[in-house]
Amino acid sequence: RGGSRRALRRARCGPGRCGRWCGGPGRPRSCRVKQALWLTKTKLMKGLPPKVLSIMDDLANQLENQDERVRNAIFHACFWATTEVVPRRKTYCPILVEDLLHLCRTMTSKFPSLSKRMLGRNYSLTATWERESVLLQVHGLNGMLLNAMNPIQPVASKDEILATENYTLETFYPISPTIDLQDVNVYEEKNDTGFREDYPYPHPHTLYFMESNNLRSYRFRPEPLQAKMLMFAFGNALAKARILYGDEPRVLEQPIVVQSIGTDGRVFQFMVFQLNTTELASNDGVKNLVWIDSDQLMYEYAQRIPSIRKKVVTVPAGIHGYDPDTFKKFLALYLHGAV
Amino acid sequence: MAGLRRKWSELCRQLQAKSATTVKAGPGAGPWYPPVVASLTAKSKAAQRRRQELFHQLLEEAGSIEKKLQLYEQRQRRKFVVYPQTFALRADRSYQSFTKTAFVPGLPPASRAPVDLDLGALRSLACDALLQEYFYLRRPFAWSLNPPQPLHEAFLTQLLTSLSGQLVARNPLLAASTLDFQPQVNFYWMRGEEVVRHGHRSGRVDPVRFQIDDKPLLQIRVPKQLPKFVPLDDLVAEEIPVINHTPDKLPMFKRQYENKVFIGSKVADPCRYGHTQFHLIPERLKRKKLIQKNLAHHIEVVYRANGIASLFAWTAAQAMYQGFWSEADVTHPFVSQAVVTDGQYFAFFCYQLNTLALTVEADKNNPRKNICWGTDSKPLYEAVEENNIKGFNDEVLLQLIQFLLNRPEDVQTDRPLASA
Repeated sequence: RGGSRRALRRARCGPGRCGRWCGGPGRPRSCRVKQALWLTKTKLMKGLPPKVLSIMDDLANQLENQDERVRNAIFHACFWATTEVVPRRKTYCPILVEDLLHLCRTMTSKFPSLSKRMLGRNYSLTATWERESVLLQVHGLNGMLLNAMNPIQPVASKDEILATENYTLETFYPISPTIDLQDVNVYEEKNDTGFREDYPYPHPHTLYFMESNNLRSYRFRPEPLQAKMLMFAFGNALAKARILYGDEPRVLEQPIVVQSIGTDGRVFQFMVFQLNTTELASNDGVKNLVWIDSDQLMYEYAQRIPSIRKKVVTVPAGIHGYDPDTFKKFLALYLHGAV
Repeated sequence: MAGLRRKWSELCRQLQAKSATTVKAGPGAGPWYPPVVASLTAKSKAAQRRRQELFHQLLEEAGSIEKKLQLYEQRQRRKFVVYPQTFALRADRSYQSFTKTAFVPGLPPASRAPVDLDLGALRSLACDALLQEYFYLRRPFAWSLNPPQPLHEAFLTQLLTSLSGQLVARNPLLAASTLDFQPQVNFYWMRGEEVVRHGHRSGRVDPVRFQIDDKPLLQIRVPKQLPKFVPLDDLVAEEIPVINHTPDKLPMFKRQYENKVFIGSKVADPCRYGHTQFHLIPERLKRKKLIQKNLAHHIEVVYRANGIASLFAWTAAQAMYQGFWSEADVTHPFVSQAVVTDGQYFAFFCYQLNTLALTVEADKNNPRKNICWGTDSKPLYEAVEENNIKGFNDEVLLQLIQFLLNRPEDVQTDRPLASA
């Protein structure tokens, strides 16, 4: 096992030679988006891409009684699903995501190509790459991955991709970008999408992240969550690119787009990632692109027990500050590639 | 007790006020006395009856369904816990008698002619779901002969979510439905009587109480009720088995904890009717294990007991959510469906709840019976070898689709709901 010896020696050369990014609990969680951008050689764009926004604004792409049904889904998750008065996050966060996905799935009657999708639960991803002579790996489980038969078309045009050549990546000298990554001995530099090669739904479409732990300290805060989403979206795209274009680093003719959505049951993070290049070792050349729409509230808060002061109800029980745009974004990302 | 006493004094006051007005109106009336009734707190049969009547009145006058359920669930006593997935021998017969259910082999006649379906697409969808979980998804653990339980769960979830998504165009009711993943379903009821054997209440006659705490793998709830299979007062020829021994011989055990009636969602949910439940048989009751224990004849009993108990609990809880209970029997039948499976073998059940009057007093002169239709289990496939499926059974898939397509008559299908 030649490869194993190589990795081992690299790991022994000094700290930080082989960093590994893992998604499980108890892993480094201080990582920020800035660091993830450097590790994945990516340029950040604020907000969602115009293509997704146009899907979102089109009235034809909405459900009948959309607002009422989304409100019912939120009520179901936060109030009705158990006999408890106050359900814990561990219960209501997955229920909310499943309910919203169920609402999205009912659009199949309108867009039959949506039936060419399959949701993979508990798949395990491994992607390895080299960045400025540091060997990095993303490895682990992340909830759910929606796979599709057909890939999503690139979001950014050729010109926009070429324009990223002039962009310089932000560094944070004197701090090393791999400062808090976990050092491990990797015996096999492998890339694995978690699925076999002849899988009929080979293209990763959207990743769903649920931060549903009851304890705040065990949950990813919004910014580390975005970093985790970026790393996993990148990992999925890279593993796919290695299958399509081989292990040689190159600029991809057909960029690969992977979306991801993260939530803690209230705050949603939306992300569209486009892998333009697998030449990651150097800082020059074409960069990858990511669009992040951060901290979108589905609702401001859910009052389970009405708050009463001096026999007057000050805050009635129910959902306060419902934002209809958040589900529109959720739906637009689901419909992206089928509309 | 305090509530009852308060209610009693209030009733007395009302009665007196009412009689005072009638006395004033009536000609030549003398002094009026309240009627002589039994004490509320004495240790006599009349007092017991009086308390019972007051309790019924309280329930009838409850303002909301939540209040009614709260009153119904209030009194905690030791109760038999009914496990729908049980190892008990001949459990299906006992469960029939506890729930007053007649079991009819086979499925009820379909009310609607089967629609022309693109079976090929649906079959490929089912095969993809099966192969994804059993072959294409690389698992961190290795398994060869015995796929573990989570794999079956994943396959069924995958199959049903994709099938229901695909069939939305055919059945608009599914578009308005809610999918529950591993919801809790509870039902509490009383049937039969027993003599209290121990304690300070020994010698008294108490109703036998039952509680089901069920957890289906997946269930579909809809805002409109499914059509009934047979009219409410239609009597089926099948008899309800009479069990001459006490339930603890099944074996069943008594526990005391919160009484619960729950359909998987609270009363405020608009999706308050059941469509279909999906149950996964646990590892210890699998076909193979039973054959090893020389209980091959018991395989179908497990499926049947699960179908009867789970469907009764769910359907009866739906009826209670509409305000019916043992003293106010249902005015129209409630209907639900269930699929019980071990991941490979599928059995189909339909349930029609005709009566909730199961207590001894309410059950006098009540000819109605609940009806459960059910099939024996059939395999969906014979084996999965690498990436090909051996012996895929279209009949089972068609039956599954038929279940998912069930809908009331007044739901339009001409246009897909989403395109409006």
